[in-house]
Amino acid sequence: MRILVSFKVTPDFEALREADWAAAAADGVRTRYARRILNCFDESALELALRLSEALADQGGAADLSALSVGGRETEPYLKTLQALGYGRAARVEPEAALDFAPAVTAALIAGYVQQVDHSGLLLLGCRSGPGDSGTMPFRVAENLGWPCPTQVVEMAPLADERVRVACMVDDGLLRATVRLPCVLAVGNAVVSRLRVPTLTDRLAQRGKPIAVLSAADLGVDIAEELSRETCALTGLEAIERARPGVIVHGETPRAKAQALFAEHLKTRMEKL
Amino acid sequence: MRSAAILDGTLGTAARQAQALAGFLREGLSGDPVAETLIFYHDERDRVRLVGLAPTRAVRLVRTATRRPDRIVETLAALATNEQTELFLFAGGAAGTEMATRVACRAGGAVLTDALSIEVRPSLLVGRKNVYSNHLVGRFELSARPACVSIDAGWSDEGRPASLEHRVLSDTDATDGAGLAPFEDLELAAAPPTGDLAEGRFLVVAGYGAGSREHADRVAAAARRMGAVFGVTRPVAMNAWAPMDRLVGVSGVRTAPDLCIVVGASGAPAFSWGIEKAGFIVAINPDEQAPIVRNADVAVLDDGVTIIEELARIVSADREGP
Amino acid sequence: MHLSRAAIVEGLERIAGPENVITDETVLKESSIDNFRKLEHIFGVYTRPLPAAVVMAQSTAKVAEVLAFADEHRVNVIPRTGATATEGGLESVVADSIVLDGSAMDQILSIDTCNMQATAQCGVPLQALEDRAREQGLTTGHSPQSKPVAHMGGLVATRSIGQFSTLYGGIEDMVVGLEAVFPGGQVTRIKNVPRRAAGPDIRHVVIGNEGALCFITEVTVKLFPYFPENNTFLGWTLKDMNTGFEVLRAVMVSGYKPSVARVYDPGDAGLHFSHFAAEDDCVLLFMVEGPAGIVTATAEGIAAIVAGHPECKQVDSEYIATWFSDLCWGPEKITEEDERIRQTHNVNRTTEISAGWSCINDIYQAARARIVSEIPDITMAGGHSSHSYINGTNMYFNYFYNIVGCGPEEEVTKYYLPIIGIICEETLRRGGSIVHHHGIGKARTPWVKEEYGSSYCILETLKHAFDPNGIMNTGTIIPR
Repeated sequence: MRILVSFKVTPDFEALREADWAAAAADGVRTRYARRILNCFDESALELALRLSEALADQGGAADLSALSVGGRETEPYLKTLQALGYGRAARVEPEAALDFAPAVTAALIAGYVQQVDHSGLLLLGCRSGPGDSGTMPFRVAENLGWPCPTQVVEMAPLADERVRVACMVDDGLLRATVRLPCVLAVGNAVVSRLRVPTLTDRLAQRGKPIAVLSAADLGVDIAEELSRETCALTGLEAIERARPGVIVHGETPRAKAQALFAEHLKTRMEKL
Repeated sequence: MRSAAILDGTLGTAARQAQALAGFLREGLSGDPVAETLIFYHDERDRVRLVGLAPTRAVRLVRTATRRPDRIVETLAALATNEQTELFLFAGGAAGTEMATRVACRAGGAVLTDALSIEVRPSLLVGRKNVYSNHLVGRFELSARPACVSIDAGWSDEGRPASLEHRVLSDTDATDGAGLAPFEDLELAAAPPTGDLAEGRFLVVAGYGAGSREHADRVAAAARRMGAVFGVTRPVAMNAWAPMDRLVGVSGVRTAPDLCIVVGASGAPAFSWGIEKAGFIVAINPDEQAPIVRNADVAVLDDGVTIIEELARIVSADREGP
Repeated sequence: MHLSRAAIVEGLERIAGPENVITDETVLKESSIDNFRKLEHIFGVYTRPLPAAVVMAQSTAKVAEVLAFADEHRVNVIPRTGATATEGGLESVVADSIVLDGSAMDQILSIDTCNMQATAQCGVPLQALEDRAREQGLTTGHSPQSKPVAHMGGLVATRSIGQFSTLYGGIEDMVVGLEAVFPGGQVTRIKNVPRRAAGPDIRHVVIGNEGALCFITEVTVKLFPYFPENNTFLGWTLKDMNTGFEVLRAVMVSGYKPSVARVYDPGDAGLHFSHFAAEDDCVLLFMVEGPAGIVTATAEGIAAIVAGHPECKQVDSEYIATWFSDLCWGPEKITEEDERIRQTHNVNRTTEISAGWSCINDIYQAARARIVSEIPDITMAGGHSSHSYINGTNMYFNYFYNIVGCGPEEEVTKYYLPIIGIICEETLRRGGSIVHHHGIGKARTPWVKEEYGSSYCILETLKHAFDPNGIMNTGTIIPR
């Protein structure tokens, strides 16, 4: 089974200071100085793919794992780690322009890589990633490829004949389903959420193995042209007022305070519970 | 602008979808109203109930295969072409995100997911959603049609007005040509429980300032009386005033209640993190300097056990009615 | 005369009241370990003997009564406040110990802005004291990464040090006076004076005693003016760790006092700085704070020194500023790290030592090479220097390994202690100290005699003099 996981490396938004966010509404978000992290859903996907390939091996089958990221040099430490963990192919597509709010373009690049270069039949993607947090990427890629795409996948197990049994945390419960390859799996809040760690020996064994760097042109995608056809453009950013007011409730006696608290703040809220 | 709210009645979430859409239509949408609801259903016996849920007067019914979002997507994409529907509105959640995205891709439109609000004008459609991991709100302009918008999962209809008089405009059957289902051997189970602390919408937490095990028990009793889930801070658990499974914060549970009352806790970071996603926080603490007071919506500066017991009495009396 | 568990509990309840004596089994398990055996907490496997009870002390008088009781009946006492120890200092090694917890003594007693001193009971969280000082434009200057959760008593008992020590000093430079209770129940108070030569400095019997001699109930620490507006950050990448040590030495010898001066080796730098440093880069960084004139002169002086080493490439200081603002171990990070360990079985440990400039690089190179070649399943082995002096610096070894082929409760024996052994051996061989600021705890007691050499008798005599019945934190500092 050929399995491809596409992952995103983003700035760690939690590492930015309150002042940075307050300024962002006017000046744009300066994430250049924040450390980078792996998108949490992609991290689940990467570890789940490793476990899927182990399960296949237990069944007497075999898996061929590859990893892709649409991103610059900041993705290379992660690609190297994945090579050390057993991902046989590691590649990145140089974005050439900021694609954070252009998921249609990223989807075209991922689909292009699958169809023209990688030829995997199972594509795993995290269900959502920042900064856009649209949650649309897996479906966009699935539409490009014409493949089915179970969503909010939290478990996966291989079945015979190029099929996978998945568990999906959908809006009305936990849905188990069998899906036939080729397909996209959109990975959600899986319990498995951390990628295993390769030893120094594992890393040394993979040293020197190349990471393929492709351009959009290599995949037949004209980024400038695609961007000009953007249908949902970001036009501005607003700050979110986070601090809580800390309003003091007054009263002459504890009973009076409790009564004021209830009447002024809690009665309506409790009715809505 | 021709527009429709979409209800997938083949899922168990139909009522939730309808309530969310109703709330959004009233408070989240400005400009041209959405005139009709398209209800997809499978079982004949559901028709009346589903029509009754619709958030608009005008309703169109479409019969389809159960649990086949791909069929809904095909139907809507065809509507966009044949009837020039320019805006589809979906409830939030996994299904809404999927359908909004796929319809937009299929029909050459634009998609905005988890919308906090949208503004609909004859030739302009803008929406707002959370971005950067909820650190900012982004404003977006949707320039292609149909615009497919799924609403933020937090929408619900509070204080629903008297039910509308619905008018069913059409009832079509789209079950033919359903084609091969993309998935086989479907089994739906209830989602595994995550525990009362994680799921509770009303939480009362006792901190070390409660003073003793008896006091912690009194706070727990007051919580029960008000129908709240009871939690504690780490010092309370480590003093064995309450079991460890009541722990909120680091090494315990991270909660997200709509309403959280904190009794006698100073609000150290290890605990605050466990409640910071709460909708509304009430702090009861005699010390005005305690960090919890700054991090609360409302604070009462008094002994926590006394106040929470008074409050429980008032709440009970209010519920029992005059 | 050996008291049963029940008799111990009964005695404690008479002294402290039943509401202050905890015998809940879950609490006792959690109280049998500290971060040294954190995997036992993370995986729920407890192997240490259970204490008889945790007793919450509400006052100095109660601490004295409990210690007198324990001394009379020869029951081991484990003193504790914030419970953030990392070297086993809080582990129980004998059955039926008493865990004496001072975290309920959490009052800030005074902020004295004339004498620039703050007095706090032992259970005051450092963060709380720091927040109170900041309200008046002051700072304690003490900022270990455990600041959000550590308490004043433990911070003094372990001779802790903070991120800004190069400017403000370690806890030993900050403590003015204190109150401590000794095993017989004697309450001793050392008064607050700026300096005196009235015999040996007895504060140093208490500071760093790790609960092996006494229980600290109150501390007074210095306060400093807080000048965040002048904070300046500087950073460089370079290839050779030794050059990094040379630069740090030059900065210290020249007399500059940045608040932070660090050099990271490539492995450790990779954890923090991969967004601007290459895979084989070391990272050299400084933070300078204080009055404007001093900050400018210090920053210029440091830059001039680094300029004399052209292989150092300057980085945009915003990288360092952003990294620094996110450094402390708040609740989110602790929980995430626990979950990461639970899922991946990959554990991060640290061991920090100190040595003179002439041998620090040799120690770093030798220890690192041995760890990588002798210990299995290593996923990262590196470190950084973070506390420098005119006559040397520390080396904070930072390493990760996968736990393979053994249960989590065996991790300490299979991996952690052997690595500690390598680092201690290579350090002692070259005349360095086996521990810079984490304390000996129980983990490093196998090397404590070699650490002291002929001066060990001074340490031993202190122990025999102050704790003749051997009830204070048995197994800590002095091997059993």
